[in-house]
Amino acid sequence: MLDLVWLVPALPLAGFAANLFFGRRLGRAAGWLASLLMGASFVVAVLVARDLLGLPTEERVHILHLFDWIEVGSFRVGADLRVDPLSLTMILVVTAVGSLIHIYSIGYMQGDPRFGRFFAYLNLFCAFMLTLVLAENLLFLYLGWEGVGLCSYLLIGFWFERTAAANAAKKAFVTTRIGDTFMLIGISLVFLRLGSLDLSTVLAPEIAGVQPSGVFTILALLLFAGAIGKSAQIPLHVWLPDAMEGPTPVSALIHAATMVTAGVYLVVRMHLFFEISGVALTVVLVVGLVTAVYAGLTALAQDDIKRVLAYSTISQLGFMFLAAGLEAYAAAIVMLAAHAAYKALLFLSAGSVMHGMGDETDLKLMGGLRRPMPWTAGMMAIGALALSGVIGLSGYFAKDAILAIASEEGKALVYWVGVFAAFLSALYIGRLVVLAFLGEARSERARHAHESPAIMLVPLGVLAVGAVALGALALDKETGLLPALLGPVLGELEVGTAGLPEPALIVLSQVVAFGGLLLAWFVYGGRIDWLALRARVSSLYRFLNRGMYVDDLYGALVVAPGKAGSAFLAYVVDLRIVDRAVNGTGAAIQRLARVGRRVQTGLVRTYALAFLLGAVALLAYVGSRI
Amino acid sequence: MSTPIAYFLLVSAALFTIGTVGVMVRKNALLIFMSIELQLNGVNLALVAFSRMHGNLVGQALTFFSMVVAAAEVVVGLAIIVFVFRRRRTANVDDLSVLRW
Repeated sequence: MLDLVWLVPALPLAGFAANLFFGRRLGRAAGWLASLLMGASFVVAVLVARDLLGLPTEERVHILHLFDWIEVGSFRVGADLRVDPLSLTMILVVTAVGSLIHIYSIGYMQGDPRFGRFFAYLNLFCAFMLTLVLAENLLFLYLGWEGVGLCSYLLIGFWFERTAAANAAKKAFVTTRIGDTFMLIGISLVFLRLGSLDLSTVLAPEIAGVQPSGVFTILALLLFAGAIGKSAQIPLHVWLPDAMEGPTPVSALIHAATMVTAGVYLVVRMHLFFEISGVALTVVLVVGLVTAVYAGLTALAQDDIKRVLAYSTISQLGFMFLAAGLEAYAAAIVMLAAHAAYKALLFLSAGSVMHGMGDETDLKLMGGLRRPMPWTAGMMAIGALALSGVIGLSGYFAKDAILAIASEEGKALVYWVGVFAAFLSALYIGRLVVLAFLGEARSERARHAHESPAIMLVPLGVLAVGAVALGALALDKETGLLPALLGPVLGELEVGTAGLPEPALIVLSQVVAFGGLLLAWFVYGGRIDWLALRARVSSLYRFLNRGMYVDDLYGALVVAPGKAGSAFLAYVVDLRIVDRAVNGTGAAIQRLARVGRRVQTGLVRTYALAFLLGAVALLAYVGSRI
Repeated sequence: MSTPIAYFLLVSAALFTIGTVGVMVRKNALLIFMSIELQLNGVNLALVAFSRMHGNLVGQALTFFSMVVAAAEVVVGLAIIVFVFRRRRTANVDDLSVLRW
C-alpha cells in the first residue's frame, strides 16, 4: 500500500478535473463526487498508515519516486513523495478534516450558482495541500505551497461580486507572496549551499558540521519568513481576518485547519536548520509568543463571529510556533492536529449559525440561539471547551503540554506569557459562546433562526468527537501515541525539571481556562451592560478592534506610498515621458513623410525619367569600375 | 568579310535612343507603348549582333525570350490602356496622375 500513496493527492486532483469540466452538469452530485474522492483519499491514507506502522520504527521512511520533474545539469528535482510519521500525521489530518468539510459544504453551499466550481477549488486545494506535506523535494513542496496559496485566493474571492471579498482575496495573495518570495530565495540558497533540495539529503545529520551556523541562520529565517506569511504570524498576519470574506467551509478548511498550519509543518520539517542556527529558534519562539498574545487580545474586541475565530486561529498558530521554538516539535504537531479538529468544529458551527440566521455574523445581533439551534450550540460549546483547554479535551493535552514544556525548560517568562495567552483564549471563546447562544435573542433574525440540516450537523458531530478524543493521542507529552510516533523524525523531547511541579501546572491551567470562561459569562452574560462599558473605553476598544492599527500602519507605510508611486509612474512617467516619446516618434516620421512624399508625383513620365537617370548612373558606375 | 559589329550596334543604339526619347516626350499612352517596343527592338538587335559575333546562339535565344515576354506585355498593357480610355475618355498619361500621396 505504501506505493499507492500517490493516490492520496491524485484522487482530489481527479475530483478537481471532473468538477472543473462537468461541475455544472453534475449539479448537486458535484459535491458528492468531491466528497467521495476526498473520503477515498482518507481511506488510502489510513491504509498507508497501517502499512507504515507495521514497519519497525527505524525503517519508517518510504520515498516513492513518481517521475523526474526538472533536470538541468546537476539540478535535479524529482516528483517524489515522502511517507514518514510526520507526513503521515499531516495527510491523515488533511484528508479527515477535508472530507468532513467537503460533506458539510454540500449543505452549506446548496443553491449557490457556482456550486460545482466551489468543489473543484476545494478538491484542488486538498490536492496541493497533500502534495505540500508529502513532498520529498523542497521545490516540489514549494509547488504545493504556491498551489494552496492560489486556491486560498480563489476561495476567499469565491463570491467575487462583493468588492470586500475580491479585495480580501487580493490582500491575502499579496501578503503571503511577500513571505513566499523570501522562502523561494531560501530554497535557492539551500540548493546553492547544500547542492540538493531532497529532504533526505538536506536533512541528513552530517550536514551539520559542513557549514558555518550563520548560513543556517539565514536559511532558517528565510524559510521561516515563508511560514510567517502562510501561517499569518506577526508581521504578515493582516490577511487572515480579512480572509473571512470567503465561504465559511473555506475558512474552516484552509484558514484554520490545514493551509495556515503549513508554516508550522515547514518549521517542524526543517527543524534541523533552526536547531543548528539557534538564533532562528529564538526568533520562532518570540514571533509565536507575541502573536499568540496579540491575536488573543484583538480577538476580544471583534463583533464578527468569524473574525473572532480568525484572530483565535492566529493566536493558536502562535502557540504552535511557540512549541516549535521550544524544540517541542511533536507538541507542535499534536497542537496542529487537535487545533484542526476543534477549530474546524468552531468554524463550521459558526457557519451553521450563519446559515440559520441568513448570513448574519454580528454577535451583537445574536443571543439565545441555544433554543432554535440546540445541536449547533452543543457542538460549538464542545469546540469552545476544547479551545479553552479544559482538562480531558484535546486542547488541554495540546496547549498545556506546550506551556508545561516551557515551564520545565526553565523559561518562566515564556510560560507566564503563554498562560496569559491561554487565559485570553478562554475569555474570547467564552465571550463568543455566551453572546451567541445564551441570554435572549437581540434581533428578529435571532428569534427566527433555524437549525441546519443533518448533512451539516453530522460532520460537526464527527469533528466534536475528534475535538474531545484527539487528546488520547498525546496523553503524555513524551510517551503519548503521537509523540512516540513522531519521535524518530523529530528527535526526542528533552524535558527539564525546572519551574513549577506538574500538579501545580495542571491546576493553574484549569484555573486559567475556567477563569476565562467564567469571566466571559460574568461580563457578557447579561448582568453587565458591556456595550456601555465598552463605550467608556472606546479608544482601547478601537485599538483592539482594528488589530492594534497594524493594518492602518501598513496602509500608511506601504499602501499609500505604493499608490503614490503608481500614480507617479502612471501619470508622470508613463503619460508624460513614455507616451510622449512614442507619440513624438510617430509625429516626427509624419513630418518627414510630408516632405518626402512630394517625390511621388503620379506622373508616369517623371518615373520614366527617374528610371533613365538611374540606369545611366548605374552604367556610369559600372563603366568606371571596369 | 562580314559587316563589322559596330554597324549593328550603331543601329541598335539609334533605335534605343529614339525609343527612349519617345517615352520621355510623348503624352499619349499608346505612343509611349510603341516607343517602349522600339527600345526593346534596339536591345534585341544588339543581342542578335552579339550572337553573330560570338558565333553561338545564346544571344538569339535571349532575343526569343525578350520577344515572347514583350508580346505578353503588349497584351496586358494594351488591355489596360483600352480600359483606362473607356473610363476616362483619354489616353494622356499626364492626366492619369491620381496614384500619388
